[in-house]
Amino acid sequence: MADHLDRSACPATVQLLGKAQQDGVSTAFLRADHVKPCPIGAEGSCCRNCAMGPCRVLLPRGKSDLEVEVTGVCGATTDTISARNFLRMIAAGAAAHSDHGRAVAETLIAAAKGEAPGYTIKDEYKLLKLALDFGIEVGDRPIEEIALDVGKAALAQFSQQEGELAFIKKAPLKRQEIWRKLGIVPRGIDREIVEALHRTHMGVDQDAETLLLHGMRAALADGWGGSMIGTELQDVLFGTPQPILGQVNLGVLKPDHVNVIVHGHEPLLSEMIVVAAEDPEMLALARAKGAEGINVAGICCTANEILMRHGVPIAGNFLQQELAIVTGVVDAMVVDVQCIMQSLPKVAQCYHTRIITTSNRAHIPGATHIEFHEHDAVNAAKAIVRAAIEAFPHRTGRVEVPPHRVDFVAGFSHETIDYLLGGVFRASYRPLNDNIINGRIRGVAGVVGCNNPRVKHDSVHVEMVKELIKNDVLVLQTGCSAIACAKAGLLTPEAAARYAGGGLAEVCEAVGLPPVIHMGACVDNSRILMAATAMVKEGGLGDDISDLPAAGAAPEWMSEKAIAIGQYFVASGVFTVFGVTWPTTGSEKFTRMLFEGLEEKVKARWAYEPDPIKAARLMIEHIDAKRKALGIDKARERVLYDMAMRRGLEAL
Amino acid sequence: MEVKEEKTRFDGVRVEVLGPTYEPGKPAGQDEGNWRRKLRDREEMLRYLRTSERYWYSSDWYGSERRKNPA
Repeated sequence: MADHLDRSACPATVQLLGKAQQDGVSTAFLRADHVKPCPIGAEGSCCRNCAMGPCRVLLPRGKSDLEVEVTGVCGATTDTISARNFLRMIAAGAAAHSDHGRAVAETLIAAAKGEAPGYTIKDEYKLLKLALDFGIEVGDRPIEEIALDVGKAALAQFSQQEGELAFIKKAPLKRQEIWRKLGIVPRGIDREIVEALHRTHMGVDQDAETLLLHGMRAALADGWGGSMIGTELQDVLFGTPQPILGQVNLGVLKPDHVNVIVHGHEPLLSEMIVVAAEDPEMLALARAKGAEGINVAGICCTANEILMRHGVPIAGNFLQQELAIVTGVVDAMVVDVQCIMQSLPKVAQCYHTRIITTSNRAHIPGATHIEFHEHDAVNAAKAIVRAAIEAFPHRTGRVEVPPHRVDFVAGFSHETIDYLLGGVFRASYRPLNDNIINGRIRGVAGVVGCNNPRVKHDSVHVEMVKELIKNDVLVLQTGCSAIACAKAGLLTPEAAARYAGGGLAEVCEAVGLPPVIHMGACVDNSRILMAATAMVKEGGLGDDISDLPAAGAAPEWMSEKAIAIGQYFVASGVFTVFGVTWPTTGSEKFTRMLFEGLEEKVKARWAYEPDPIKAARLMIEHIDAKRKALGIDKARERVLYDMAMRRGLEAL
Repeated sequence: MEVKEEKTRFDGVRVEVLGPTYEPGKPAGQDEGNWRRKLRDREEMLRYLRTSERYWYSSDWYGSERRKNPA
C-alpha cells in the first residue's frame, strides 16, 4: 500500500487516497500516473483546426522557431498555431465565466418580475450601485423595477455589438486609455468570444500578435464583463459577502446526517439546496429515515459561494470531489457546471451516493438528471434533497470520515475591505495604501486557481502563500487556492502572528484581518480587479494598476478558465505567474511575446515558474521593483510635527 | 498581562506584535459582521456609496486621477 504522502499536502486527502486504494476506486491522482500528458499538446504544437491535419509542428531537437520555420499543411507557423491554441483556451474560459454571468442576469430578471419563487433582491445597496453603473434612474422607484432594468442592462452586455462594456469605465482612467489605444476594449461579451473562434478557424488570422491582442480583448470581456456581471448580480440576489466564520476539509461531513454535497460554480441552485435542507418537511423525512439531520457542504467554487453567504462548510477543493464520495457518507452529490469530473458516477457505483446533474448544459452518463430552472427552483431543490434522504438508508461499505476540519474566516468582498479599513463614515483604501507606502505591507498578491494532480495537491499554493506573507505581502485569494490555504490554517487572524512578517502582522492585528484574504469563487476574481482599482484611485501608488506593488499567480492551474483569468489580469496591468506547465512552449517566439513583449503593450506580462518558492520570489522581486519605481523602497515613517518642528521647517 | 513579541519586517525593521496574547474566540450572534444593517434607507445607501466608493460615484473625488473634468 502506498502512503500517498507525496500526492497531497492535505492530511484528509492522503487518508482517503488510502481508503480509495483499499476500496479499489480509481481517482484523478491515480489516473494522472497512467495518463501521461501528450508532449505535443502540452507545448501547444498541435493544430487540429481542419481536416488537412491534425498537424504536429515539432521543431528539430535543440532548435527554436526563432531559428527554423516549421509549418502545418496550410503553412501556419509554430507561433500562429501556439497563439491560436492559446486564444481558444481564453475563449473557452471566458465563455464559461460569461455563461455563468448570463444565467445570473436571467435569474435576476425573473426574480424582479416575480417569476422565480424563492429568489428575492437581498442587497439593495449593491443594486443601487449597479443602477449607477448602468445609468439607470433610482429615485423612489420600487426595488423590483430597478432590478428589472439592471437585469436587462446586464443581459444586454452579452449581445452588445458596438461601443464598450459598461464596467470598462470602472477601471483606472490610464488603463482605459491603454486598452483604447490598443483597440482591445470589449464591444460585447458574446461578440469577442465568437470572434476569437472565428479568428482561429482555418485560414483566418495568421498573425500571432493580432491573435494575442484579440485574446486580451476576449479575456477583458470575461474579467470586466461576464465574471463581473456574475459576481455583482449574485451579490444583489444573495447578498454581498461579509466576514463569516467557516469550516473546511472533509471532516465537515457528518456520519449520522444525510450529507448533500453541492459542487460546481453557479450558486443559483446551491442557494436553494441550502433553503430546502432547512425545510421542516425535509428534516422530518430525514429523521424518519434514521438520520439526525441534513448536512449541506460544498466543493469547489459553489462551496465558496454558499460559505460566504451562509457559513455552509467546505468539504474540499477540486481534487477532493471523488474522495468526498470515498468517505461513504455522501448521500447525494449535486453538480451544475464546470470542474466536475466525469468519473463521479463510476466512483459513486462503489458506494451508495447519488450523482445528480442539474444543468441543461452539463449531463454526465450514469448520473441522475434533475433539471433545475429558476422558475421552479424550490421544488427542484426539494426533489434533490429528497433523493439524498432516500439514499441515506442504503449506505454500504466502510464509512471513514477523516477527523480534519479547520476554522477560517471568509467573505471579504471589495466593499467589506473598504468598510473594515475605515468604518461607515470613513470607508477608504487609504489605510492599506498608507501601510504599503510606509513599508509595513510590502505589496499585494492575488493567488488563485485550481488544483492539478501533476503537482502535489495543495502544496504549491500553500508554500507560495507562506513565502509571500512571510515577506510582508498581503495575499488575496479565490477559488480552490483559497480552500487549500484555508485547510492549512492561513485564513485566520491569528495566522498573522504565526506566519506573517512583522509589518504585515502589525497591520493584520490592528485591523483584525487575516494575512490571507478569502474573496470568493473564481468568478469573484473580478473583486480583486475592483480592489486593485480602488487602491489606484485612492492615490499615492501611481495612477494605473501596473504601477501597484502587486502580482498575481495560479500555481496549480488546470482549467481554460485559469488562462482567461490570467490573461485579463495581465491585460489589466498585473504581472502574473503560472505553475505546473505552460501551454505555448512549442513556440519560443509566441512565448516571448507573452513573457516579454506584453510589457510594452500593457505594462504587464506572464511568467512561468513551477517551483512555488521561486515563483514567490519572482513576485516579490516584481513588487520591490514597483516600490522602487514609486520611490517607496525605503521605509519612511510618518512623523507628527509639533509647532517647534514646523518652525524649524519654515526656517529652512 | 500584555506580552509582546518582536518580529522583523521585510526591510529589516523590528516591530512588536501581540501574537502571544491572542485569545482564540468565535464570533457570536447572527448579525456578527453584518455592517450593511447600519445603512437604514435608500438615501443613506446612496450617501454611503458616494463617500465610501467615492472612487467611482463621487463627483468631487479624483484621488490619483485629479483632472479638470471629472469622469
